[in-house]
Amino acid sequence: MEKTLIIQRYNPEQDQAPSAKRYQVPFDHSTSVLDALLYIQQQLDPTLAFRWSCRMAICGSCGVMVNKIPKLGCKTFLRDYPAELTISALDHFPIEKDLISDMAVFLDHLQAVKPYLINDSNSAEPHRQTPAQLKKYQKFSSCINCGLCYAACPQFGLNPEFLGPAAIVTAQRYNLDSRDQGKAQRMPQLNGKNGVWACTFVGFCADVCPKQLDPAAAVNQGKVASATDMLISIFKP
Amino acid sequence: MNQPKRSDEPIWWALFSAGGVCFAMVIPGLVLTLGLLYPLGLLPEAAFSYSRVQQLLQSFWGLAGLAFAGAAICLPLFHAMHRVHHGLHDLKLAQGRLAKIFCYGLANLLSAVAIVYSGIIA
Repeated sequence: MEKTLIIQRYNPEQDQAPSAKRYQVPFDHSTSVLDALLYIQQQLDPTLAFRWSCRMAICGSCGVMVNKIPKLGCKTFLRDYPAELTISALDHFPIEKDLISDMAVFLDHLQAVKPYLINDSNSAEPHRQTPAQLKKYQKFSSCINCGLCYAACPQFGLNPEFLGPAAIVTAQRYNLDSRDQGKAQRMPQLNGKNGVWACTFVGFCADVCPKQLDPAAAVNQGKVASATDMLISIFKP
Repeated sequence: MNQPKRSDEPIWWALFSAGGVCFAMVIPGLVLTLGLLYPLGLLPEAAFSYSRVQQLLQSFWGLAGLAFAGAAICLPLFHAMHRVHHGLHDLKLAQGRLAKIFCYGLANLLSAVAIVYSGIIA
């Protein structure tokens, strides 16, 4: 049994524009899109470039558009598609080569929200946390930074300055953590016009998230946090 | 990364949210009574006589009229114009300050008219 993969090829140093190339790939019940890409690279065309690592939806490297929907190649199976699949690099990012997109913008946005615990207390004691305190942010902590939500977000497509779903999820993840003291440092990023307020609650980010962590909910909780922050700033001397 | 300026969006978003609640809770009831049941003659004529409605709006020192104008006209206006504003951005038709002034300006203007008019009636 074979299926046809129509893959977007592009080498910015040589090609004027991306072009599509067709490959016949054998498949069975367990063949993922990533397996198919590896087959092509190893058996048919060693020039095909794509990014991958763990093969088990943990590293977040193998994000591609499958039939124009952002997917992790390792978590998407050929059996679920008709005889032909189109595969291209993630939308809304510059292409480095073929299926490899340049994630630098995303990483900049992620860095801007200080995605780490900020706690100045120098005590040697562990920072204890109750299960209820853990529950507040636990869901948002499973982000693997795959960038599928950025490829899905039409607002990020219109305005690459928008912090975007994963960065805001991560900001919320630390802001809601009882051990963290960095909320005041993160809020200015969320409060700006390219922070939470660039989101219009399309919700496609939540549909494509391979970890089902509902980035759209995190962004909208961020809007409440930002509105509260504004209100407090008005009444605070 | 330098710190971005605080967006004024929370104000418009709060009005948008309040308007959304009105659209969900108040407007369907109004459409049903004023738009369907009354014109179809399914409600007693006297229930919506001018003097009775005026009396109703005057109750609580005219605050009833103000609340009605706010819930039925002003807040839904801000809700709708917020959507139009973001819709214009999404369709790449208009972005920036001018679209904002037009959208929220119109909502402000029509709200003012509604409130002044409700004051006159009351």
